[in-house]
Amino acid sequence: MSWRNRSRGQPRSSGNRLALTTPGLVAHFFRHEYGRLVSLLSCRVGVHNLETVEDAVQTAMLNALATWPRTATPDNPAAWLYQVARNELIGQLRQTARRQHLLHDASAAETAAAWLDADVHLQSEVQDELLRMLFVCCDDAIPLESQLVLALKTLCGFEIREIALRLFTSEANVYKRLARARDRLRQLPADFIESLNPAAGERLRAVQRILYLLFTEGYLSNLDEAALRRELCDEAIRLATLLADHPWGQVPETYALLALMHLHAARAGARQDATGGLLLLEEQDRSLWDRGQIHQGLAWLEKSAQGEHFSRYHAEAGIAAEHCLAPTFTQTRWANIVECYLLLEQAAPSPLHRLNRAVAVAEWLGPAAGLAVLDGFAPPPWLEGSHLWCAVLADLHRRRGDAVAADRYHALALGAAPTPAIQALLRRRLHHIAIPGGWSAGVP
Amino acid sequence: MPNYLCIRRSQPSQQGQPGNSEKPSPAQMEEMFAKFNAWREKFQKNIVDMGGRLNGVGKVLTPQGATDGPFVETKEVVGGFMILAAASVDEAAEVARQCPGVIAPGASLEVREIASP
Repeated sequence: MSWRNRSRGQPRSSGNRLALTTPGLVAHFFRHEYGRLVSLLSCRVGVHNLETVEDAVQTAMLNALATWPRTATPDNPAAWLYQVARNELIGQLRQTARRQHLLHDASAAETAAAWLDADVHLQSEVQDELLRMLFVCCDDAIPLESQLVLALKTLCGFEIREIALRLFTSEANVYKRLARARDRLRQLPADFIESLNPAAGERLRAVQRILYLLFTEGYLSNLDEAALRRELCDEAIRLATLLADHPWGQVPETYALLALMHLHAARAGARQDATGGLLLLEEQDRSLWDRGQIHQGLAWLEKSAQGEHFSRYHAEAGIAAEHCLAPTFTQTRWANIVECYLLLEQAAPSPLHRLNRAVAVAEWLGPAAGLAVLDGFAPPPWLEGSHLWCAVLADLHRRRGDAVAADRYHALALGAAPTPAIQALLRRRLHHIAIPGGWSAGVP
Repeated sequence: MPNYLCIRRSQPSQQGQPGNSEKPSPAQMEEMFAKFNAWREKFQKNIVDMGGRLNGVGKVLTPQGATDGPFVETKEVVGGFMILAAASVDEAAEVARQCPGVIAPGASLEVREIASP
């Protein structure tokens, strides 16, 4: 089965800007086919030719755009694109070789031509290539932020401006990150991809990390437009599913990673009200949670429960699962969540996890116990100045009856809110202190 | 219904290879493709011949002989054509106007009724 058949059957509930689909083509056909073809061809002619490959695929798609509407969409559009891109690529490689009078390059071009003639449309092979390319992107000589941009460009088929929009940064910045990644790829030997050993654990961990980052960029992004965020989450799930289905990625950590993605994505649709305002966990209509996706997540979580290593993905998936399984906010098994946060702090120490544990403890044992978790804890400046820290402290102090401290943190939290939507949510939350129940919508 | 010849002209710099201009991204191409298909679906009955783009290869024949075309000295060159059937020139113009990508900066579209004998 191909990955394209694997994408979830039901239509996305969140508004998709590219809802216009075409008979005979699956959703995101061009974008996903771009990633597939770039991977496939790069694996054949060497990743040092990445830019030439990308240009060839782009040209093939422009040809398709000019041809298909006039004739008809071919029976096998993917094969059509492959043929055109392949011819374009070989032409380019030959031209470069001729121009440079390099015998070596000329023979390389002919070798590539012979390679590319082989029938490569076996789906299993194509999955290999896409994953191989993903492993290439996660080179530890490439900075993490450049890896992310490279993956979005080559595997997900996003353009610079589309990446900038989704990562909430400038085009110049995306371009810089991409250039850094490409510099590194150009230095790699021609047979690098073939010699790559995906079984090496270090690189697999890097791949998991980049997929996690891709997902959280989508899930936690400050971006106002839900559909754009959702696309990043969908891409992360698509690639993680490929990884979990392939011998290279079949380890408990990958299953846990995929579980946590499903368990968060299942609830994404309920995070906003009709006007796009953010909703707290306790305000969300749980009937809007995608039960099918929760089941998928729980199935992956079950599969991840093997082996010796308890990863941060296990802990985070465990927390998400508890929320998904709770029939109401007040019936949440907070003790289990506190336990998971403790494990998460051990697996991946971060002051943010401690803050979240304080929130969970407050729900479980009351605000004083929650504050006690933070006793003697000096948060780093980035956290201390953030709306999350201030809002949690405002909430806990208010519930404990310390109005002075609560007011102080309240004002700080509002001032630090990064977007109007978050500010509105804080205002609502911090004014409704009479409602029992906790603060835990900020970070899953 | 009479037929109409639609002639698209554009400035030479914007002709041919989309090389230096901003290339559409795969997502944009997907959108363009879908829009074009929607247009074709909607005006199925009007579209007689989808025509095509005209590339740079050509000749101009005159009583004095043949010269290689297209006409580089002119400000605009014919870049594409199609044939539509419509009840009136207004209807044909409307069908053509709605075709995605046809009306663009630096381009014009001439709609002419083909005389029937």
